[in-house]
Amino acid sequence: CSEYQKILKSEDMGAKYAFADSLYDIGKYRKSLKLWEQIVPSYRGKPQAERIMFLNADALYQVGDYYLSGYQFDRFVSSYPDSQKAEEAQYKAAMSYAALSPNYQLDQSETEKGLDQLQLFITAYPESEYADDASERIQELSVKLQKKSYEIAKGWHKIMDYPTAIAAFDDFLSDYPGSPFREAALFYKFDSQYQYGSKSISVLVKPRLNEAIEMYETLIRYFPEGEYREEADALREDIDAILENYS
Amino acid sequence: CFTFTSLFAQQDLPVSNGKQYTIGEISVVGAKQYNEQTVIAFTRLRPGEQVYLPGDRISNVIKKLWDLDLFSDINLYATINGDVVDLKFEIEEVPELNKVTITGIKEKKTKDIIKDNDLKKGTKVTENLITKTKYYIENKYKKEGYLNSKVTIITRPANDTLAGQKVDMLVNVELSDRVKIEEIEFIGNDELSDSKLRKQMKNTKQKNLIRFWKRSKYIAENYAEDKVSVIDKYKEKGFRDARIVSDTLIKSGEDLITLKLTVEEGDKYYIGDIDFLGNTVYSDRELARQLGLEKGDVYNGVLLKERISKDGDPNADDLSNLYKNSGYLFSSINPVETNVENDTIDFEIRITEGKLAYFDRITITGNDKTKDRVIYRNLRTRPGQRYSQAAVLQTTRELGQTGFFDPEQLNPQFLNANPYDGTIDINYALVEQGASQIELQGGYGGGGFVGTLGLSFNNFSIQNLFNKEAYKPLPMGDGQKFSLRAQASTFYQTYSASLVEPWLGGKKPVQLQLSFSHSVQYRFDFSGGGRARPDKDQRFLITGGSIGLAKRLEVPDNFFTISHAISFQHFDLKNYNVGLFTFGNGSSENLAYTIGISRNETDINPIFPRSGSKFNLTAKLAPPYSLWNGTDYKQLADDRAAALAAGDRQAVAEIDQERFNWLEYYKIKFEGQWFTSLIGKLVLSSKTEFGFLGAYNNDRGIPPFDRFFLGGDGLGGFALDGREVIRLRGYPNQSVLPQDRSENPDLDPNDGATIYNKFEFELRYPITLKPSASIYALVFAEAGSSFDNFRDYNPFLVNRSAGAGIRIFMPAFGLLGIDFGYGFDPIPGTVGGPNGWETHFIIGQQF
Repeated sequence: CSEYQKILKSEDMGAKYAFADSLYDIGKYRKSLKLWEQIVPSYRGKPQAERIMFLNADALYQVGDYYLSGYQFDRFVSSYPDSQKAEEAQYKAAMSYAALSPNYQLDQSETEKGLDQLQLFITAYPESEYADDASERIQELSVKLQKKSYEIAKGWHKIMDYPTAIAAFDDFLSDYPGSPFREAALFYKFDSQYQYGSKSISVLVKPRLNEAIEMYETLIRYFPEGEYREEADALREDIDAILENYS
Repeated sequence: CFTFTSLFAQQDLPVSNGKQYTIGEISVVGAKQYNEQTVIAFTRLRPGEQVYLPGDRISNVIKKLWDLDLFSDINLYATINGDVVDLKFEIEEVPELNKVTITGIKEKKTKDIIKDNDLKKGTKVTENLITKTKYYIENKYKKEGYLNSKVTIITRPANDTLAGQKVDMLVNVELSDRVKIEEIEFIGNDELSDSKLRKQMKNTKQKNLIRFWKRSKYIAENYAEDKVSVIDKYKEKGFRDARIVSDTLIKSGEDLITLKLTVEEGDKYYIGDIDFLGNTVYSDRELARQLGLEKGDVYNGVLLKERISKDGDPNADDLSNLYKNSGYLFSSINPVETNVENDTIDFEIRITEGKLAYFDRITITGNDKTKDRVIYRNLRTRPGQRYSQAAVLQTTRELGQTGFFDPEQLNPQFLNANPYDGTIDINYALVEQGASQIELQGGYGGGGFVGTLGLSFNNFSIQNLFNKEAYKPLPMGDGQKFSLRAQASTFYQTYSASLVEPWLGGKKPVQLQLSFSHSVQYRFDFSGGGRARPDKDQRFLITGGSIGLAKRLEVPDNFFTISHAISFQHFDLKNYNVGLFTFGNGSSENLAYTIGISRNETDINPIFPRSGSKFNLTAKLAPPYSLWNGTDYKQLADDRAAALAAGDRQAVAEIDQERFNWLEYYKIKFEGQWFTSLIGKLVLSSKTEFGFLGAYNNDRGIPPFDRFFLGGDGLGGFALDGREVIRLRGYPNQSVLPQDRSENPDLDPNDGATIYNKFEFELRYPITLKPSASIYALVFAEAGSSFDNFRDYNPFLVNRSAGAGIRIFMPAFGLLGIDFGYGFDPIPGTVGGPNGWETHFIIGQQF
């Protein structure tokens, strides 16, 4: 029977606390967690509780159990808002939520929660040493949301539902004006209108392609030397060629 | 390691007349579980600090202490000495619960009470907890009809602890007898009889010996609801002014009451002129037809309301849905009485059509496995499209049928309805459900141990098969269906794999289906004596595969699907002389093209459809080789007849090998199934099936492969020859052969039929439809028969059966079931009475 097992089974909370503490200090978070679990309830309402709660939450954070660490850090912050460790706890709570953010093609509730929490953290502690990391993470998560929205719109383009793609790109462009996907969105919106217009019944070809030309102009106005310029120019020439038949 | 210091930044403001003091000493009296220092530390007050008395700071401290819910009493005493104040907190700690004893009711019921009120060891026993518990129990029993129950709760210190720290809770429930309704009397009702009115009261019934399924207890809540039903009944009959003037509750005996209701019926009214105002999209005449009420009809307020907008039924055929389904989501329709003359009421139906609504943002939440594109591409509600309620319902239905999400929890949420811009957002809130099934079986059969391992992944991601990251625990979320199955015993092995990709290339809903299977079967070798061993020299091998494409159609409507498939099977026999085939050495190739058209319009839950229908028509065609291969099949047929007459089995086998080297046939099948909701949750499924296997060249004949075998549980299991096993309960497996087999010596009794038909009625009742397990019970009546040719065909000459059974669907195991069927007719070819009872186990079969 190792010392760890013995202490795990003992009733002596003081000894457990000291041992958990030493395990935490040498980075054996997973082992310390089992002890914290047992200690936390019996110190509730006592002065040591503040420190124990924090260490328990941090051990969870270190082993990557972000579901629980987020929750425990949140509880810590609301129980001890004046604590010296409140700032770190709030940061780690937010980062825990952010860590749960899944692939952009799946439900993004966790991403949104992470974003909100990080934003709250930066508002509360603008001077924090963690502020830079937090903003970086915010940037990353918002790009993920933008990618999701962009890819959904592009999905409509892919399945050749062009009017829907145009509506979805419009929503994307108004939701995220500064997105790195803006150029691609403008291009695919233009392409959607081009496809839509060129496959319309003859009376509608001209007005729809004229609309496409406007979209082309918007694209090159914002991104005169963008990566889609060449492709866009080629489509533009196609449009001119088609319109000649309708003039 | 680090240390903590607390920062004090709290502001202290004096309450009017507050004076500032310096704190001298702080003491705490009455702390038992918590030491004095803990409480002082919690207050964050320190000697030497300046506070106002009275002041915000101090009141906040007391409030904070109260908020802890740890103390049942907190008093603060301040002793003032000039500018110095000594503070003394006198607290009484709330005891913890040690044990709870509930008396007066059955043990089983106490568990709920303990659970719902959180009466577990260690709970703080506050006044609030006691009051809440008492109220909870009293209310619970009131609802069950025990009107006068008394609940007393006392606490006393637990034996084994220090006084005041832990208490035992004693709850005594004194149940009164249930109050029953002796009689319900109506006064003032001339138009509707007492019994008719009593019938309206669904949950308030007077005592009646015959009615045993509903008890006549009195529950105030139900009574209030039922009074409304009584008035509604009057409204239906044209008495729009009817009301209950008074109702009295009279104690008419020990635990018996009489309810006396006085009604004022008022006059009976009729509908006068109905005018429509504000309608531009639909004409008066169209609206009047939709409304279905005419001048002179009895004024039925309830019906009028329903015809305009029926609550709780999104499919209702009412006026507001007429508008909503054509995009006028923001329309509102209000009937207004414009003139009441004698007993005739004129109406104006005022319509505000509003702007046409368009979908704006369409979002999906809850998909933590399934990727966006797999879901979005199936949506019928898309950004920029005109609003349609029918499209929302169809999308919901189709999402449910993917099997990836729990159909009972599918919930389209309408958000940000904007009548000014005419836009609306929808969020589809999904709940993922297990979409993989595993089948693992072991048992004895066919002369030895048979093991089966089947895996079926319904939401697979084949492109991530080699991506380690995607295994959590399996690559999921691309909507593909991937299954693997292996079955092996000492005498046979069969392996199969299949993959279905619903959107080939991701551009169009073209479904690709690939499958491969291989099986080998050995004959028994008894030469060793005693136990049979497989004889590797006598074997039968089948290898095959198929590739198919299916596409959803837009015309005649978008429930149609067309499919094409090419399949190939290679049969190889070596010394395999069994009754199944007339040749024991040789091979056969079965190449065929199948075209199918199907329509599926069943409602949202694929396991338990409540309405809708599905049809399936397929034609499987092998190429007509005899047109060009130059073989004289007429001559062959004559030779065969001669050989048969001479009893030369060797020659027959050789001729048959030539006849069936490349199988030549066509097969037509039809299947139709209708689901009808009867009463409540009871659903009727009616089904009819028909199949026909034919030859292009009558001299070459119909091959012995691909035939129909009727009877039994319908499980395909281990099929040697591409046979189709058709379920017909109440008879042994594959026993219902054509009637003429025994009379016609030309026909091999082992061959299946070439024609079959079947009719089936099933009444289904759901026991539970939870995502963890769907269970339903069924009773059935069915009839079917098979024939060798159209000359004998008679759809009324059938084998009938009836019975009952149960089905359990668990996402991880698929469908399991058991049916007991009674066959009313003898098995064809036998004489005697009905076949009698048969038990059938159903595994993994689809509906």
